[in-house]
Amino acid sequence: MGLSQALSTAMAGLRANQAALALVSSNVANAETPGYVRKTTNQVETAVGTGAGVNVAGVNRVLDDYIQSQLRTETSGAAYATTRANFLSNLQSVYGDPDSSATLEAAFNALTTALQALQTSPESQSARTGVINAAQAMAQQLNSTSQGIQTLRNSAETGLTSAVNSANNALTQIAKINKQLLNFPAQDASTAALLDQRDQYITQLSQLMDVRVVAGDGNQVSVYTTSGVQLVSGSDAATLSFNTQGNVTPSSQWSADPSKSTLGTISISYPNGGSIDLVSSGAIRSGSIAAYLELRDNTLVQAQAQVDQLAAAMASALSDTTTGGVAYPPATPAPAPGTPSGFDLDLSDMQTGNVIHLTYTDTTTGEQKNISIIRVDDPSVLPLKDDATVDPNDKVIGIDFSGGMASVVSQLNAALGGANIQFSNPSGSTLRIVDDGASGLSDVNAASVTTTASSLTGGGAQLPLFTDGGNLYTGAITSAGSQQVGLAGRITVNSALLADPSRLIVYNTNPTTPSGDTTRVDFILSQLTTGTYSYSAKTGVGSNATPYKGTLLGFTQQFTSLQGNAAAAAQQLADGQNVVLNTLQKKMDDASGVDIDTEMANLLALQNAYSANARVMSTVNSMFQSLMQVL
Amino acid sequence: MSIDGVSGRTSYLGSSLINIKNQLDTLTEQLSSGKKTTTYAGLGIDAGTATGLRAQISTLASYADTGTLINTRINVANLSLQGMSDSASTVKAAAAGTTLTLDNTGKTAGQTTAMASFTQMVALLNTNAGGRYLFSGRATDTPATEPADVMLNGSGTRAGLTQLIDERAQADGTTGLGRTVISSPTPTSVTIGEDAAGSPFGLKLSAVTTTDANATVTGPASPAPGDPLEMSVDLGATNPSDGDKFTFTFTLPDGTSEKIELTASSSTPLPAGSFAIGADSTETAANLNSALNTAVGTLANTALVAASAITASDNFFSSSPPQRVDTSTNPPVALRDGTQTDTVFWYTGESGSDPARGTAVAGIDQSISVQYGARANEDAFVTALKNIAVYAAVTTNASNPNANGQLTALDSRIVDNLAVHTGKQSIQDIQADFAGAQTAIATTKDRQTQTGSIAQSMLDSIQGINDNEVATKIMALQTSLQASYQTTASLYQLSLLKYLPAP
Repeated sequence: MGLSQALSTAMAGLRANQAALALVSSNVANAETPGYVRKTTNQVETAVGTGAGVNVAGVNRVLDDYIQSQLRTETSGAAYATTRANFLSNLQSVYGDPDSSATLEAAFNALTTALQALQTSPESQSARTGVINAAQAMAQQLNSTSQGIQTLRNSAETGLTSAVNSANNALTQIAKINKQLLNFPAQDASTAALLDQRDQYITQLSQLMDVRVVAGDGNQVSVYTTSGVQLVSGSDAATLSFNTQGNVTPSSQWSADPSKSTLGTISISYPNGGSIDLVSSGAIRSGSIAAYLELRDNTLVQAQAQVDQLAAAMASALSDTTTGGVAYPPATPAPAPGTPSGFDLDLSDMQTGNVIHLTYTDTTTGEQKNISIIRVDDPSVLPLKDDATVDPNDKVIGIDFSGGMASVVSQLNAALGGANIQFSNPSGSTLRIVDDGASGLSDVNAASVTTTASSLTGGGAQLPLFTDGGNLYTGAITSAGSQQVGLAGRITVNSALLADPSRLIVYNTNPTTPSGDTTRVDFILSQLTTGTYSYSAKTGVGSNATPYKGTLLGFTQQFTSLQGNAAAAAQQLADGQNVVLNTLQKKMDDASGVDIDTEMANLLALQNAYSANARVMSTVNSMFQSLMQVL
Repeated sequence: MSIDGVSGRTSYLGSSLINIKNQLDTLTEQLSSGKKTTTYAGLGIDAGTATGLRAQISTLASYADTGTLINTRINVANLSLQGMSDSASTVKAAAAGTTLTLDNTGKTAGQTTAMASFTQMVALLNTNAGGRYLFSGRATDTPATEPADVMLNGSGTRAGLTQLIDERAQADGTTGLGRTVISSPTPTSVTIGEDAAGSPFGLKLSAVTTTDANATVTGPASPAPGDPLEMSVDLGATNPSDGDKFTFTFTLPDGTSEKIELTASSSTPLPAGSFAIGADSTETAANLNSALNTAVGTLANTALVAASAITASDNFFSSSPPQRVDTSTNPPVALRDGTQTDTVFWYTGESGSDPARGTAVAGIDQSISVQYGARANEDAFVTALKNIAVYAAVTTNASNPNANGQLTALDSRIVDNLAVHTGKQSIQDIQADFAGAQTAIATTKDRQTQTGSIAQSMLDSIQGINDNEVATKIMALQTSLQASYQTTASLYQLSLLKYLPAP
C-alpha cells in the first residue's frame, strides 16, 4: 500500500533528521571542548516496497589517524622541550642578573677589589674587614647558587612524583575505557564519546612520556612506550611507581644499583607480576618525565659540578703549597757510581686528599711517566681511578695512610716496584724515592708534594681562607665520595679569620709579621686573578684529554656562557617545537574540529529536509482524508 | 606556548597573539630598564665577553682608587720630606752663623733653633696619612720613632742621647788628656802613647813630624805586640834651633784630624804654641813635655768634646742596637750593645736589609707597581737626625775657658756634616724616588681612563639597548598586535549564525 509506505518513509526521514539534528547540536555545544571530535551520522538507505527508507546506522568520528599519531609524538617533544627550557630559564635566575651585584662574577670582582684595597692599606682595619666581608659574600653567593641548583633538582624530583601520578591515572582510565568499549561494540554516540575520552587520556599521557598506540579489534588499544615497554594492554594497565627520596642534596645521585641510589627511580609493575626499572633501561625518551630525569641526573648535576669546581679551585689556590723534593744522595760527598738516586720528600704536612707528584723515565722505552699518589685515610675507596685528578696524562695511585709510614712504603713498593722505582722511609715522615741505580732501567726525574696549609700563621703566604663548613678543604676522597662534590653549598670563610682579620696580613707570629707587609695579600690576589688552574671535564668545560686550563674568572666566564647558551638554545628548541605542535594542532582541528559555519549550513539543510518530510506526511495525511471522504 | 582547553582556531590565533604580546612585554622592559636582558642567556654568545669586560672595568676602578690613594700618601710624604729638608737647612745655617753667646741653659741661639728643628723633624717622620705611618717601613701601624724628648732625655731606666754623650765624653777623657799618656823615657825624649790597645776612645795617634834635623821622631808604633801605640820625639844631644817645629797629629773619634804644632822658641814672653829652648836638650825636652801636656789637655777639652758628642750621637742613631760605653772596666776600653731596658731604641718601625722603598708596593696596573715605602732609619734621615740631635743636646759650661773652643769645633762639624756629600743618600734623593712613582701613577691613570671607557662602551653595546631601535620595534609590534586583534575580532564575527533568520 503506497500511501502508508510513503508515511513510514517520511517518518524514517524525520527520525534521521532528528538524529542528525541531535549531532549538530552536540557538535555546536562541544565546539570548544578539548579533545572533542566532530561527529557525523552514518545514514543508510533501506529498501521499503518500491521505494527506499532511511536508517541511522551509527555515528562517525571525523578523525585523521596519521595526524593524530603525529600530534602525540610532537606533544611529547614539546613537553620535553618546554620543561627543559623552563628549568634552564629558572637556572638562569639562580645565576642572577649579569649586570647586578648578585652574581658569582660580581662577588668575585668585589673580592679582588677589596684585596687590592687591602694591598694598598694593609694596616687598615676597615680594609681587612672589607676583604673578609667580600670573601663571605663570595662564599654566600656560591652557597646560594648551589642551593638554587639543588632546589631545581628537588623540583625535578617533585615533578617526577606528580608526573608519575598523572601517568598512572591516565593508564588506569585508558584501561577502564578499553573495558567499557568491550560492552559497546557498536559505533554509536556513546561509543564515540568514550573514544574521545580515551584519546584525551592518551594525549595527556603523551605529554608525560613518548607513547606508541596500537589499535586492536573491538575498539581496543594497547599503549607502549616508543622503546617498547607495554603500558596498557586491553583492560590491564601497568602501574608506575616512583620512590622519592626526600631532600635532594649535591651528593644525592641516581644509581642503577638501588642500594647506592639516593634519588628516586621509576619502576613499572604489571597486574600479572613482573617489574622493570624504567630509568636504568632508558625506556622513557621524551615527554616531561624524560626532561625531569635529564635535568635531575645530568644537566643540574653538571651545573653543580661547575660551582663546586670553582669553589674547590679557589679554596685550593689559596691553601695549597707544592714543595719539590730534596735530591738524594747529596752532591757532596760524591756518591759511589751506581748509587740509586732520587728525591726525599717530607710528608709530615700531607693531608688526606693531598698528592705526591712523581715523574720518572722508563729508560728501556725512553717514555716519561707521571704518577700522582693520593693520600686516602679510608681504604674502602681503593683503588682510585685515573680521573681522580684533572691531569689526563697521569696514573693515579691511592695510598692508605692510616697504617703509618711503614705501610705507606710497602703499598708504594707493591704498586710501583715493577716500574723499578723504590720507596723507603729513612726517618720520621720522610719518603725517599729512588731509581734502580746501577741497572739503569729507570730514572726519577722529579718529585714533589702538594700540601694544604692548616694554620693561618704557618709562616707561609698560603692560608685556608675558605673552609668546607669549618673543616679544611683538601680534596679528600672518602666512602661518601669526593670532598669537592657539594663544596659550593658548604664553603665558608675560615672562622678563625672572622675572629681575627689581622691574619690576612700576619702569616708569622715569631717574629710577628709587620702590619704593612703585603706578602700574603699579594699572594692571595695573584692566585685569584692571574693564577691558572686545570678544571675537571665533569663541568662540561674542556675535555678529559685536554682539560680547560685558565684563571678562576676565565672558568667562571666559560661556565656562565655555557649555561647561558644552553638556556637560550633550550628556549629556541622549545619555541620551535611549539610552532610544530601548533601547526599540527591546527591541522587536527581543521580535520576533526567543529566548524560552526558547516554546522549551521547542515542545520539549514536539516531544517529544510525536516519540513519537506513533514510536508510529505501532511500531503499523505490529506490524501488519506480525501480517500476517507470518498468512502 | 600552545593553548589547551579551547578549540583549534582559538588556540592558533591566540598563541600568535600571546607571542606578540610577550615580545612587546620584553621590549617594554628593555626600554624601561635600558638593559637588553636580565639573564646570561639573554646576552647570547657575548655573555663571556661581557663577563670579561665587567671584570676589567672593576679592576680598572680599583686601580684608579689605588692610584688616588697612593698619590695622596706620596703628597703627604713629600710635604714631610720638604719639611725635613728645610729643617736641616735651617740648622746648618744656624750653625754656620751663630754667635757663641750661651744662655742660662748652656746653649747658643743656634742650638735652640736646632732643638725646635729636631722636634719638628721627629714629628714629620711620624706623619700619619689616614692611619698609616709613612716612615715605619712595613710596620705601618707603628710610629716610626720614639718621641723627640725620649730620644734626647731617655725614659725611665732607658738612657737617652744626652746620657750617652756624657758617658762618651768621660770615656773619651775630655777633661784629661784624651786617654793619652805623656812620659819621658829618656831625659831628652818625650813620648805620647794611647792608654789602652784597641780602645775606641780618646785621641788616636796619627803622626809625629819635626823640622829639627837633630831630633829623632818615632812612631806611631807599638813598643811590643799587643801594647798600645806610642810616638816619641828624641831631641838628642843638641838643642833645637829657634823656630824648629814639632807636630803631633791625632785622629778624633768622629774621624776628623787635629794637629798640635809646638815651636821651639827663645823669645820672652813665650808666644802661644811654643816651648822654651832650655840650657840643654834635657831641659828643652822637659819644656816640650810640659807644652805638649797643656796642648793635649786643651785639644781634649775642645775639639775632642765636639767629636766625642758627634760620635756618641752616631752610635745612638746609626746602629741598632745602639752602641754605648762599656763601663765594666775603668777606664772603659770598648763599646757595648745597648739593651731595650737600658737604652732608648729611637727607631720603632720595621727594619730590614731590603731597600726601604720596597716596603710599600702598590699595583697600579696588571704588571706595573710603584714603590713608595720609607724607613726613618734610612741614611738621609739618620744623617740629619744625628747631627741636629747632637747640636740640640750638647750643653756648654760658660765658665769653662775652653767653651768657645768647644762651640766652634761643634759648629764647624755640624755645618760640614749637614752639607750634601756625593755618594751619600740625601733627602732630595728620596723626593726624586717619590716623584718617579707619581709620574708612573699619572701615566698609568691616563691610559686606564681610556681603556676603561673603551671597555665600558663595549659592555654597553653588549648589554645595553638602542632606545630608537627598541621604540621602533615596539611601534611595529603594536601595529601588528592591533591588526591581529582587529582581524581576529572580524574573523569571529564571520559566522553563518549571524546571518540566519531568528527562528
